Amino acid sequence: MPILRGAVTFTRFLVEHADDPPKDVRGWLTRALRSRAFEPLDRADEEDRSAGFVELENPESTEFAVGNLFQGERALFAFRVEQLKIPARVLKADLEKWVRAFEAEHGHSPKRHEKAEARERLRKKLRNRVDPSVKVTDLSWNLETQQLQLWATSKKLVEEIQALLEERLSLRLVPRSVAGVAREAKVDVESLAPTSALFGAEVGDGEV
Amino acid sequence: MAKFRKASAETQFLRGETGVDGQATEEERDPAEVEAEKTKEQALRGGTYLGREFLTWLLWQSESSESILELEKEPLTVVFIDRLMVRALVGEVTEISAKGMAAPYALLVKQVMAGGLLVQQARLQLTLGERVFQLTLDAENLDVRGGKLPTLVAEEESERVDERLYLTELLSSAIDALVQKFVALRSTSEWKKTEVPQLQAWLRGEDKAGVSLLKTAARAKGR
Repeated sequence: MPILRGAVTFTRFLVEHADDPPKDVRGWLTRALRSRAFEPLDRADEEDRSAGFVELENPESTEFAVGNLFQGERALFAFRVEQLKIPARVLKADLEKWVRAFEAEHGHSPKRHEKAEARERLRKKLRNRVDPSVKVTDLSWNLETQQLQLWATSKKLVEEIQALLEERLSLRLVPRSVAGVAREAKVDVESLAPTSALFGAEVGDGEV
Repeated sequence: MAKFRKASAETQFLRGETGVDGQATEEERDPAEVEAEKTKEQALRGGTYLGREFLTWLLWQSESSESILELEKEPLTVVFIDRLMVRALVGEVTEISAKGMAAPYALLVKQVMAGGLLVQQARLQLTLGERVFQLTLDAENLDVRGGKLPTLVAEEESERVDERLYLTELLSSAIDALVQKFVALRSTSEWKKTEVPQLQAWLRGEDKAGVSLLKTAARAKGR
């Protein structure tokens, strides 16, 4: 849990409510996180990936009890991703073994559809054997200052969590980039074209 | 084989890839042109170029030992340390990295920046009063990487978590305050009239009042 120890790495946002902020923010947040709580992967399903919110200190729990979710003015929770990844190298080796056995038995190479069916059977077999990879990303949200820190910098992951919070919780997460801070200061960012004297190049207005 | 070639040519024509003369309808793009377009796109995405201008301005501002601003009634000073990566908007060289305790302030690096490569990523030391933070900042989103916080004072585990979160938010507020100062300057006509010419003179090493490189390095070492 990076929030609790170690070097700090996080993406910074300022939270804005798309609608009027709820009166009981804590109750609302608890319900919202429960509604998008993490559900473990079910191998009987076709889905290879599952993602959702969990408690920070116990990534197995999705209760979000008040004592676990809130610490002072902050809400602390995490985003858990479980994924079943079938090693392509193993699948390829198993398929080649099957092809050799098929050729020995039938005296000719398998047809395209036979190979595709075999690949799917082997994929399912391997899927039942592999352990899912688990990744947990911490989040801290100061409910007074509205600073939200997402303890990761992987662009894809950050965008996924940002989109989920914006869609499911009706929030707007404004990145704390220079452009984000400028917008907050009511500066027209479109008017701030690159300084050509510094970049040594002209950039047309339409390109920005 | 010839039949296959003919079919292939017909297919290409039907796909619109070749004209009636058998020549390609679209010229294959020059790899240098593709790279230049990608480099430019990276700089313009989400206003990354503003982040580069900010970090370059901050490097200039940080060379003296004076505080850049006050936050919570305490002086905030900045020193660039160890590593610096600069990127261009256009040109043959698109990225250069420098390493060394005082590398960010070295004349050689400044000359590179004078050629249009601005700071994309840097390792910084922020001192707020007596608290010292270290972090790597990237121009795109100004997210914090590999940050080191001041030594925690609290002893109880729950208090230590609180203190740690308070310090990360303080660090974030310090970055915001620096950006706000830059934005206030960048959005006025003073930026192009006075700031940019001075910054360019500094990059060219023409700033006579410049601070000793050794002094800057010593300040960084004293962290």
